[in-house]
This record gives sequence, structure tokens and C-alpha cells, in this order.
Amino acid sequence: MGGKTLGRLERLPVRSIVLIALSAGVLVAVAYGSYKTLTLPAGERYSASAWRDFIVLGVAQGAVYALIALGYTLVYGILRMINFAHGEVFMAGAFGSYFFADAWSKSGFMNEQPWLSIVLLVLIAMIVSVAVAVLLERIAYRPLRGAPRLVPLITAIGASLFLQNTFRGLFGSQTRGYPKPTMLEGTWTILGIPVQKVQVLVLVVAAVAMVALTLFVARTKTGKSMRASAEDQEIASLMGINVDRVIVTTFIIGGMLAGIAGVLFALTFGNISYFMGFAPGITAFTAAVLGGIGSIAGAAIGGLMIGVLQSVGPALLLTGANVPSPFQLKDVVTFAILILVLIFRPGGILGTGDAEKV
Amino acid sequence: MRRRSEVRASISPGVRAGLIGGIALVYLAMVGMIEAFDDLLLIGEQVTLGLVLLAAPPFAAAFLAVRPRVVGGRVERPAPLSGLVIGVIAGGISGAVIAAWLLIVEAIGVERVRSVFVAVSPQLIEILTFGQGVAVGTLILLLGGMALGALGGVWRTLRHGLRLPLSVAVGAVLLMGLLQRIAPTILDELSVERDWLYSKVTFGLTWLGAVAVFVVTASVTAFVIDRRERAEARPPEAGTPQGRRATRTVLLLALALGLIVLPQLAGTIVSEILGSVGVYVLLALGLNIVTGYAGMLHLGFGAFFLIGAYSAALLTGANLVTAFGLVAPEFSAHLNFYVALPIVIAIGAVVGALLAAPVLRLRGDYLAIVTLAFGQIAAILVTSNWLQPITGGPQGLRDVTDAGLSGLSFRDPQDFYYLALAFCALAAYVSWRLASARTGRAWNAMREDEQVADAMGVNTPRYKLLAFAIGGAIGSVGGALFAVKVGTVQPGSFEILVSITTLAIVILGGLGSVPGVVVGALVLIGLPGLLSQFEEYRLLIYGGVLVAIMILRPQGLIPNVRRSRELQEDERTQDAWQQIFGEPEAEQEPAAEEAR
Repeated sequence: MGGKTLGRLERLPVRSIVLIALSAGVLVAVAYGSYKTLTLPAGERYSASAWRDFIVLGVAQGAVYALIALGYTLVYGILRMINFAHGEVFMAGAFGSYFFADAWSKSGFMNEQPWLSIVLLVLIAMIVSVAVAVLLERIAYRPLRGAPRLVPLITAIGASLFLQNTFRGLFGSQTRGYPKPTMLEGTWTILGIPVQKVQVLVLVVAAVAMVALTLFVARTKTGKSMRASAEDQEIASLMGINVDRVIVTTFIIGGMLAGIAGVLFALTFGNISYFMGFAPGITAFTAAVLGGIGSIAGAAIGGLMIGVLQSVGPALLLTGANVPSPFQLKDVVTFAILILVLIFRPGGILGTGDAEKV
Repeated sequence: MRRRSEVRASISPGVRAGLIGGIALVYLAMVGMIEAFDDLLLIGEQVTLGLVLLAAPPFAAAFLAVRPRVVGGRVERPAPLSGLVIGVIAGGISGAVIAAWLLIVEAIGVERVRSVFVAVSPQLIEILTFGQGVAVGTLILLLGGMALGALGGVWRTLRHGLRLPLSVAVGAVLLMGLLQRIAPTILDELSVERDWLYSKVTFGLTWLGAVAVFVVTASVTAFVIDRRERAEARPPEAGTPQGRRATRTVLLLALALGLIVLPQLAGTIVSEILGSVGVYVLLALGLNIVTGYAGMLHLGFGAFFLIGAYSAALLTGANLVTAFGLVAPEFSAHLNFYVALPIVIAIGAVVGALLAAPVLRLRGDYLAIVTLAFGQIAAILVTSNWLQPITGGPQGLRDVTDAGLSGLSFRDPQDFYYLALAFCALAAYVSWRLASARTGRAWNAMREDEQVADAMGVNTPRYKLLAFAIGGAIGSVGGALFAVKVGTVQPGSFEILVSITTLAIVILGGLGSVPGVVVGALVLIGLPGLLSQFEEYRLLIYGGVLVAIMILRPQGLIPNVRRSRELQEDERTQDAWQQIFGEPEAEQEPAAEEAR
């Protein structure tokens, strides 16, 4: 990397100047914002418990992002494409389960059998998401295997828009309230910290799903062929691996995780709309890039980090700087992280840091 | 035995196409498009756009199911009889699928289905059963599907010299029907008697008019084809370059004249729509430089729209909405629009280059995602409470000064049309000249292979920055024009929509093609502007267009010759040079990159 970069820098010192100025600016802004926030007069300051709540919320949010990020990472690992429509796969799962949740909450089934209904909702969401993901792969992506890389990305953007507006046409454009069993209201105290029950559920389910995925990829034969295809599709197919089937499996797994994430997200935030996939989708993609795209552990770490940064960042950096309603800007934090990671460490935390790879 | 398997082999595509057609029909019905488009009468009182939408899938399914035979290496037309049979099967299955869906809905009860699928209304059922009740309705769907399928299948078996004129004629009738808000006005303005062509009651074509349009376009096309075929049979006598240039000049002049006269004839509605088309042409021309010429996908181009719109509004003067009424923003100047515009352009260019500077090392999809992030940040910031004193936050800016040259109001669609036309022409000229200049060739080289371009002495970072700067400058003019046209700037949350619309225009028209941009904008902005029914399904259609174009025709409607070669893999392999020396493109070989 060294020689080449040097050559470029010599030719374009502007770039290094811009980069140094940028990093200095970011550091100063972060230091200034945090200092001001933490030294606010006692009345306006966030209390320790407020920070704790931010972090807990961030971790729970981050677990959902991690589940979605896994879908991006798996697909990118094998196809080297950003499945931009993955956010819509997530939305589809939440939407698909909504109608059952709504019916069960009205009939009382949800409160009689909270665990069973949550399990069923997750299953339904998984089925819907998997169906959307597989159709997406079959109709939109498979004909473009081997095309120049921007072509599938543009297709994915188109597919994302198409899916969003299909759901809008089918189910209407209004935001709907997602019911939650009364059992999940309130808090549990874990290690002396009050944690909302929903957040505990989110964390447990996400952890189980991620462990299961890791074991699946590490131990099973399908997992092995997935890893082989990620390494080199051509050689993998020469070794007798049906790469097409591996790709479909990848989309199925991504869809399952997105479906789970959909239900968890809907239970946490309590409402769904046809547009709900966009922001979490991009955030999860950021998480995948932050952790090192293509790496499962990276997606988990990246997801948690982004979740915490999103919930702590605006409060920490912006409140003291006198920015009104800092949480409006939480997506700015996400996008800024995305840009900074791509500028300074495109390989992500667990990656190689090699920009040419992208 | 062999015969039977042959029959099965020819029928199974029919069954498959029929099922797909049926699913398409159910989709169109459930998304609500059939009902929404049903109040637009195209011909007489019977043919609505909804009906056309209902008829298209069985027809298309049958058309696509009938495959040309390959006999001894030559492509032969399929036999009419087999076309008919396969067509009936495909169309019938399509009809059967929608009929079955209808029965299921009836069995469950429309209201119950509607509680989940909002578009399934009693009116939709009414349309699908043709008002005849379910039993007769399903029969009509089935038989209609078969009839349309038969038509589609036979259509495929027609001789080329016959099929093309007929297809063109059908297209022309539909287009004339869709142009029902423009064409009659133009005819009235020219004081041509038009009641026989367009009805004053339904606004659509009359049956007489439809038949007339059909016959005229069909015979004209047939005549043109015939002449061309004869000309091809003769030894070619190539026109002299001068002669060809002269014809081109004449054509361009005629086009310019037409564009100048058009609003006078077609009235303010058309000028209004063409004004919006002009704004998007500018945006798309800007994006075309970054994505089409330089090959860097930009997903946040709407940011330049925002930059142009907000800076134009602030520089010429605007008001904020606050709790205390309308207030001037914390920063604003009161410049004449034409003084402000160069400043806006400079801002667009500088911001474009500054944003690009740190991410020049990124390529391909990562660069695209970074541009998306920039666009989102811009959109969130301008609508935030933080910048509210300047940008007006979610309420945006109002009362943008309507300060053009004396007597010309930007709010007047007619005047604005000429303003937009002038800027579009200028931007198109700049794009066109750049493409063939040294800069354009450097972009070409960079797009095809960055490393090779680098090695050949192209200063790639510089040309990347230049592309972003010029693209940003042109795009921000589009935003500035929008601000003075509408008089309010409130597009914050639409940033992503503007970005995607602009991208769809460039992709549909053809990456790197200036005429393509204009056609793309006319189709994607002009048509929905003319037909209010489209509005709701605009984004759905854009999404579908992006996917369909990328799969079926990645080079776009009016391709740029060199760009289309890159986008079509088949053509690549035909390229002898590349066949001999292999593909040196690093993107295609991730393994090689990792080894480095």
C-alpha cells in the first residue's frame, strides 16, 4: 500500500491536507462537544442514569442493526454487491407479521399466549422476509451475475424503491401501531440496572440468532460451501459446489435474520410503515462496513457500536454545543461515521484497511 | 413419442408465461393501479388506461411465449398455428389466474380482504367483472385472456414488415390518447377542427379518431419501411459528410424552432410541465457527467438540488415561517437572480469538489454509498431545527424573490419555460462539447479502467474532482431554477427522491447520452405530469424502470455508443481486442485484489 499511496499523495497534496484538516476538525468537534455537554450546569446536565439508559437503548438498537447488517455482510461476502434492498426485506418481515399481531392482539390471543405468539410472529416474519429475499435474488439479481459492479447496485436501488412502493400500494401509506403483549411492558432489573423487558427480549433473541448463524457457518457443510464461495466462486464451483444454490441459501439466511430483526424492531418502536426499511437499512449497512464487510463478528460489533453511537452521540456531542433537538441529527452521526470509516479505514475494524479492495 | 415431447416443449413456455402474466395481473390489481388508471378514458367511453393495463399482461405473455424457431442456424418465424395455440394457452392461463383470484376474493369477502389489502375495493371488483357480476366476470376474464393471448401469439408470427407498422400504430393511438391534455389544445390553437379526433365529453380520442390515427401511422410506417428496404437492396450511396452535417443542422434548427413555438401553441399546462422537465434535465445532465461520463455512481445528487435551491433562495431573498409570522432568515442577500446565479454555480462546484476530495480513493459501490451519505446529511441538516434560522427547518423558505429581468416573472410558466430551455440548451452544449474534448476522453479512459488511465498519464484525481465540480455546478442550476419557479423551498425530505428520480432519468435515457437525458426526463417527469393518475405510482414505476432497464437494456433508450459497449457483456466478448488480451479490469477479480 505504501508506495502507491505515496505516489498519489505527492501528486495530490490537496488530498492529504483535506484529510488532515478533516480529522483535526472531527477531533476538535468531538472534544468540544463532549466537554461542553459534560460540564453543563448541574440542572441541565444528563444524569448518570440517563447515560446508562442511552447506552442500554443503544445496545438493544444495535442488536437489531447487527441482525440486519449480517444480511448485508453475507451477501457482500459472496456476491461483492451491496444488496440495497435488504432494508425492504426487513420491512417486509415486520409488515407481514403485523396483520397477525394486530388480529391476535384484538382477539386476546397475544396476551393469553405471549411467548407462543411472539415465536409465531417471528416465524411468519421470517417466512415473508425469506420469500421477498429469494424472489429478489431470482428476479432482479440472478440475471445480472457477472455484470459490471455498478449494474447490480443500480438494480438493487430500483428493487428497493419498487418493494417499498409495492407495500405502499398493497397495504396503504399510513404508519400503523404494532401491538405488544402487556407482558413485555415495564422493566426488569438486571445487575442493578433497570432494563426494559422488550430490550431484554431483543438482546436475547439477537444473541441466539447470531450464535446459531456462527455455528451454522463454521460447522455445517452448507456453511463451509458458503465460505468457499466467498473465497472464490469459480474455484468453489470447480470443487463441486453449486454456487447458485449457495447464493440462494445466503439470501435465505439474510432474509431469516431480517425477519427476526423486523419483529424485534417493531416491538421496540411500536410502529411500522412502508418506509421503515430505509434508515435502519443504511444504518445496518454502515454497521457492516464499520465492522469490516464480509465478517460475521464484524457485523455484530459494528451493529452494537453504531447503536450505541447513535443513541449516545447526539446527546454527548451536540447538547453542549447548543444544538436544539440533537436527536433529529442522529442519522447525521451514522452517516458521518460511515464516511469517516470509508475514508480512514475502508476495510473496517476487523478488516485489512486496504482501500483498494473496495 | 418424440412428437409428444416436442409439443410439451413448445407448450411449457406458454404455461410459464401465462402464469407470470396472471401474477402480473393480480399484482396490478392489488397495488391499485388498475383502479387508479381506470378513470382515464383513452378511446371512446370504453377503452380506459386501466383496461389497457388489464389487457397488456395476457397479450405480452402470449407474445413472449411464442419463440422464434431456429432452423439450421437461421431464425425463422414461428408458424401461425402454433403461435395461436401457445398464445391461447398463455393468455388463457393469465385470465384464469386473475379469475381465480377474483373468486377467492369473493369467497373471503371484499371488505375482509380490504382490511389488509387496501386497494381491493368494490370498485376494483366492478372493473374486473366489467359490471356483470362475478360469474359472468370470471368468464369474461377467461375468454378475454384467451382472445388476447391468441392475438399476442399471432402477433409474434407476423412478418416483420407487417408487425412493425401495426405495433407502431397501436403505440401511436395509445400515445395520442395519453396526450389528451396537450394535443387538443394545440389543434385548437392552430384552429384545426378536432371534434372528430378528440371528444369534448370524455377528453380522450373518439373511435373515429383512433381508427384514423391507427390507419395513418400504420401506412406511413409501412411506407417508410418499404422504402428503406428498397434502399438497402440497392448498393449504398453514402451521403457526403457535408450533406449529412447539413441535414443535421436543419434538423437541429427545426427542433429549436419547434421548442420555441411549442408553449405558444400548447398553453400553460404544457409549459408548466416542461418547466419541471427542464429542472430535471439540468439535474440529470449534471449527474450524467459524474455517473455517465466519469463512471462514478452518485446516489446523493439531490444534495446539489438542495444546495442550488437554498443558495438561490437565500441570495435573492426569501422568508422563513416562524411562530411570529414571516421573518427574513439570519443570512440573506437581495441580489438579482442573474447576479446570484454565478455564485450559486460556484457554490455547487466548490461543494461538489470539496465533498469528493476526501473520498477520491474509493471506487464503485463504496463511493456510491458515500455520496448517498452526503446527500442524506445535507437533507437532514437543512430540515433540522439547528439550521432553522437560516434554512427554515422543516417549514423551509417562502417568498423567494421573483426577480428576473424586468417584465419576466419566473412564476409565469411561459416565461420560465424559456429560461429553463436556455439553461438546458447551454448545459447540453457544455456536456456535448466536454464529451469529445480532452476532458471527456480522460473521463472515458478513467471509467473504463482507472489503473490503466493512471498509468497512461491521466491525472485521475484531478479529473474525478473536475467531474464532481462540473456535475455539481450544472445540478445546482437546476435547484436554483426550481427555487425561483416555485417560490418556496421545502424539499428537504425529498432529497432522496430527487436523487433517485435523477438517477432513473439518466439510466432510462442511457448513461453518458445527452439526448437520452432529455428523453428520460420527458418520459419520467413529463408523462406523470400530464397524467395526474400516475402521481401515486410514480416511485413504483421508477423502481421498476431501474430494474427492468438494468436487466433488459443496460445501455438505456438512447445509448451512448462507447458506454453501451461497457455495459453489455455480450458485446464485450465480441470485441476481438479484449478477447485476445483478456479483461484487465481489477473489479472483476476480487481474488487478485486480495492477493495484492
